[in-house]
Amino acid sequence: MDIVVCIKWVPNTTSVNIDQKTGTLIRSGVPSVINPHDLHALEIALTLKDRFGGSVTAITMAPPSAKLGLEHAIGMGCDRAILLTDMVYAGADTLATSYTLAKTISKLKFDLILVGQETVDSSTAHIGAQVASWLHIPYLYYVVDVNYLGDGKIWAKRLLEDAYEEYELTLPALLAAAMHSTHPRRVKLSYKLRCKSEQIIEVWSNKTLGLEANCVGLKGSPTIVRKTSFVPEVPRKKIVCKPKDVEQAAEWLIKRLIEERLLKI
Amino acid sequence: MSICSEWDKIDPREYRGIWAYLEVEDGVLGEGGLQMLGVARNLASQKDTYVGGVLIGKGVSSLAREAIYYGADKVFIADDEKFEEYYAALYAEALASLAKEHKPEVILVSGTMRGREFTPYVANTLRTGITADCTSFEVDPAVKDVLGVRPTFGAYLIAHIRTLNRRPAIFTARPNVFPTPERNPAREGEIIHTQPKVADGYGVKLVNKKRFSRGTVPIEKAKILVSGGKGLGSRDGFTILQEFAKVIGGEISGSRKAVDAGWITHDKQVGQTGKTVRSDLYFAVGISGAVQHLYGIREARCVVAINKDPDAPIFDNCDYGLIGDYTEVIPALIKAVKKLQARKTE
Repeated sequence: MDIVVCIKWVPNTTSVNIDQKTGTLIRSGVPSVINPHDLHALEIALTLKDRFGGSVTAITMAPPSAKLGLEHAIGMGCDRAILLTDMVYAGADTLATSYTLAKTISKLKFDLILVGQETVDSSTAHIGAQVASWLHIPYLYYVVDVNYLGDGKIWAKRLLEDAYEEYELTLPALLAAAMHSTHPRRVKLSYKLRCKSEQIIEVWSNKTLGLEANCVGLKGSPTIVRKTSFVPEVPRKKIVCKPKDVEQAAEWLIKRLIEERLLKI
Repeated sequence: MSICSEWDKIDPREYRGIWAYLEVEDGVLGEGGLQMLGVARNLASQKDTYVGGVLIGKGVSSLAREAIYYGADKVFIADDEKFEEYYAALYAEALASLAKEHKPEVILVSGTMRGREFTPYVANTLRTGITADCTSFEVDPAVKDVLGVRPTFGAYLIAHIRTLNRRPAIFTARPNVFPTPERNPAREGEIIHTQPKVADGYGVKLVNKKRFSRGTVPIEKAKILVSGGKGLGSRDGFTILQEFAKVIGGEISGSRKAVDAGWITHDKQVGQTGKTVRSDLYFAVGISGAVQHLYGIREARCVVAINKDPDAPIFDNCDYGLIGDYTEVIPALIKAVKKLQARKTE
């Protein structure tokens, strides 16, 4: 089975800081990582390759620095990686991004596409459905387990709020891996070193893809950010203490919560 | 202005009405869709247009009146054998087909698991803009377009997003952020039976489904939540929280770190990548208060923080805070509740 995994190189949003003096976001120096949810997509793809053979190609659309993310993917065991990078792709929303990814994938030999459920920076969860839509292939979200049935079919299990569902999908198909669905494998140095000696990471620009400028980047994006603002603070009482007598403080608090009709006993 | 040749030309001025997609769960209208009817009502009155409700499924016609009672002026129904089973692309193409025919200005879909799965496909089919996970909506005073407001950059910022020149503008909204409107059986509306164009098959077949009960109230419905984070130190910490929750009639939940550590399941995760909760009371135990977590507890009425780190950001975002070791504080709270309960029964 030949598998394509779409990944995203994202700022590590857990390490962002606010400048206390100016109240602004400190973006510089924020390290980037592979979107953590994409690691499950890579793991599912590589497990399928281990069991049924074939190849795994990682692709990303990003500025050149995202090469580090693809090196990580190679280090996990991907056979090939493609970095889509071009100024005309900048400013893309999910429609334009999915279009560029879908056009790239349609140039590759593939049976299955895997994506992470969503990204930690923008959290739209759009890309899987949109790539499937451009390619007119079946898709399924929240996938926790996959098996190849042979005869151009796969079995996939997904977890909803109150149910497990099992599906059969006709290949080619797209699956979005659920968060926490696997234990992603670590990078092997011997795999990663291949990036140094071989041309294992290809860089494609719009010269390679030849897409219409009106369909990609900012021009191909129907949505625009009208403005951004800080998240307004929720007014809270902020009655905080470090009690000497914990039991006394606990009783005070419980009584208070009862008075405020937040708690009934 | 030239547009992408993959997009059809449209005239945005022809598009009117605010639609809410109504997901049907076990034969009744899902809470999320009702919340969207409430949002649609509000936007429609600002835009001076109608509220549309969309029902897709088999045997869903009987729910049309309910949709009207909750705020729809027109209900578009696709009631057919072929919609018996939900498949993302099938439902997406049905909704897209209705939108092509009836031209709404806006489509709102609650961001349930299925809502988030099929709505991007609708947007793509119509070559229009989609904004995910909105937590509020506004009508831009200058351009009069509906803007979706959503957290971005890991909930450090909120973005106000506009769909430019394409229609309908499509939005998914975060479940549980918006209130469910009141049911008014005196309301009247129009019921429109439709036959959306869909393909015969989508290469996907449900072969097995196993329902299970989590045995607890879903955290988004709980009145009282006792939530644990990394500061619990181990899975055992949740045993103490569970005991406290039981005593006060609450449920347990957790932060992303507690879920990542495998101490609690993802369906109980509070925060930007988990759920928004609307509990009256929210105990944050051993939770430092990362912005992503704070985003999920904005709708909680009262937040009580318990943490041994006096500098934890949660203390700037709580109503009551006790600085101390939870292994001492929680048992003291349990004791206090039991003491008051005993006094009451005397």
